[in-house]
Amino acid sequence: MNLKFHWMLPKSGELVVGKPQTAKEAARFRIESTSRDSPAARPEMDGWLHFARQAESSGIESVLVALNRYEPDPLIISCALGRGTTSLKFIAAYRSGLMQPPTFVQQVNTLSALIGGRIDLNIVAGSSTAEQHGYGDFLTHDERYARAEEFLAVCNRFWRAEGEVNFQGKHYRVEGGRLNTPFVAPDRKAPEIYVSGHSQGSERLAFAQGTCLLRVADTPEKLQPVIARARVRGLRICLRLGLICKATRAEAIASASALLPENGDENTTRLKDDSQMYREGAALGSATDRWLSPCLWTGLVPHYGPVWTTLLGSADEVANAFLAYKKVGVSEFIISGWPELDELVTFGEKVLPVVREAERRTATRAESKRQHAGLST
Amino acid sequence: MDANLRFHWMLPKGGEVAMKTAQETNRVLTTLSSSPAALPDMQGWVKFAQSAEQSGIESVLLSFSRYEPDTILIACAVGAATTSLKFIVAYRMGLMQPTTFVQQINTLSGLIGGRVALNVVAGSSAAEQRGYGDFLDHDERYARADEFLTICRGLWNRTGEVNFAGKYCRVEGAQLNTPFLAPSRRFPEIYVSGHSEQAQRLALACGSSWLRLIDTPEKLAPSVRSFREQGIEVSLRLAIICRETHEEAVKAARAMLPDEEISRQERAILSGSDSQTLKQALAAADEVGWLNRNLWAGLVPYYGSSAVTLLGSPEELAEIFLEYKRIGITQFIISGWPKLDEMIIFGHEVLPLIHRTERASMSSAKRTE
Repeated sequence: MNLKFHWMLPKSGELVVGKPQTAKEAARFRIESTSRDSPAARPEMDGWLHFARQAESSGIESVLVALNRYEPDPLIISCALGRGTTSLKFIAAYRSGLMQPPTFVQQVNTLSALIGGRIDLNIVAGSSTAEQHGYGDFLTHDERYARAEEFLAVCNRFWRAEGEVNFQGKHYRVEGGRLNTPFVAPDRKAPEIYVSGHSQGSERLAFAQGTCLLRVADTPEKLQPVIARARVRGLRICLRLGLICKATRAEAIASASALLPENGDENTTRLKDDSQMYREGAALGSATDRWLSPCLWTGLVPHYGPVWTTLLGSADEVANAFLAYKKVGVSEFIISGWPELDELVTFGEKVLPVVREAERRTATRAESKRQHAGLST
Repeated sequence: MDANLRFHWMLPKGGEVAMKTAQETNRVLTTLSSSPAALPDMQGWVKFAQSAEQSGIESVLLSFSRYEPDTILIACAVGAATTSLKFIVAYRMGLMQPTTFVQQINTLSGLIGGRVALNVVAGSSAAEQRGYGDFLDHDERYARADEFLTICRGLWNRTGEVNFAGKYCRVEGAQLNTPFLAPSRRFPEIYVSGHSEQAQRLALACGSSWLRLIDTPEKLAPSVRSFREQGIEVSLRLAIICRETHEEAVKAARAMLPDEEISRQERAILSGSDSQTLKQALAAADEVGWLNRNLWAGLVPYYGSSAVTLLGSPEELAEIFLEYKRIGITQFIISGWPKLDEMIIFGHEVLPLIHRTERASMSSAKRTE
């Protein structure tokens, strides 16, 4: 199976057609978009559609659409963008506790029918207590995972069960649940469910109800244990990372370093105080070694959080890094860049062809091996 | 007389635009999981929506139930294919957190030029609500809707963080960056449906309009006056059958009665509802049938409570709408069978007569000033 590559949807207004941004400006826009003065509050379809169509022609499978109180709703955005595209899929982030599971399923199913089944989900338990309170959710971090598990259990019954859904849990109760609108897709009866797994609670949630475990990139060696745990349970593995691909490794490093904040103390990770992943990222602090491997850099993580873990290098170096992840069992990636569009174009032109060519060679080798084996028996 | 009457239409169910007979659109058939009503019907809806824009219809109402696709997403998709039509999205309070609801509605408003309004429904059947995870009874559902809309209003006012601790809903420090985006409004129009006392109280407390079934002008006049005095509009739901003559309209209405088996099943669905609106409409159908010469409740047992039907010639109907205007009604949400044909007849034959009278009275009012 070929590797799958997804991309982070730029923040609303981040991409203005005909108005190029520097990497630094793009990074700044993204940081500010999750703040009280977010410049990304209003849906801007022109820039998004431009990006989405470029993603389709660059060989990107899906875009991840974030959920938080600073930006527009991801299900509605996926609907609008899906109606304006033909093959791109949407991984909509949503949190349990915001709506009743049957209502959520009704929305997701309706959306699937409107955009040819091109909808998948990233279920998050919630990242900040303060933000959750604003959404009317007063559970603790651990309780939220238990609720998310019930939430997905109810959703999965609607997607998988025949007949009425009955469920009695601690957080949700449904009697005689029935929705006439099915999940409509050419090749499946339910969306993929990506669950981030960096704490015990989230890993348990992913294993119990998810189809794909989402992790921030680390070295292949360090990821091996969690990959093994996930694959035993039939889950796929997807890595989140930032990407900086330039003609040479030195140029990539220079671009990456230019993204470091001028004010060395800047730190936005406290906004996500409930996330173990973010706490660990912040604790990385001034750790001297910011290189996890020669092409995996965490220099931005103490300032902006773990998903700013960056893969960098020349096209060949980056392509080989993706292939090394494939060898240990990773099947897909969700990528960010600065600016998103420029990096996406570079990726589609320079990196993806190298990856695909290597995958073709491997497939041919495997095929001829099979034939040899066939002949000799 | 004040502003022009506003006319909205019921969006057909999925597959309905292509249906040949009224009988196919009855509730028994459209609630089967095999019904095309379960799936979005973009081709039929876009055709209908564009025809509505040409017919002078201001909005379409999207009904909410477990038998149909989600109304907010449908409004998003059909809104992208239209330019002036508005969408009155029916939703039930209690299915999501108010903050999430506002975030979705605001996002939608930003995508379709603010062309969204809400029809707030507390819920129609206890069994259906339990399937959505809602176990409150009729009266509690209204109390919750009041709290829900109070939080929504707070978020739409955008005067800072919203804090609210009620019996059913609670938020702390709620704030959304995405505002309700419309050329002339900071929050959507809110139509509150229902005949019960609780529904009327909710409309007065949180609505811009009370939405109720049509009845005779005489019966409606006192409550309409009371609502208008408190600054709330009154909108009527009705079905319409317009033919060249009164006799032809009556004949067309009678031709819509379904066979006995459907009628028995429909009666079973209706008797399971805890809606006051439906109980009253059903009683009217059983006891009187004809509420006056032009208003017939005979179809309610088969097509639901909103099938109280106004019928007659274009001249009769135009005069009747103006009669409702005189008692203070400002808006109508109409159905017909088939919806598209009846809407085109309405736009072509009835609406011009109403507009002509409204223009005349406007200029005579100006002369007397």
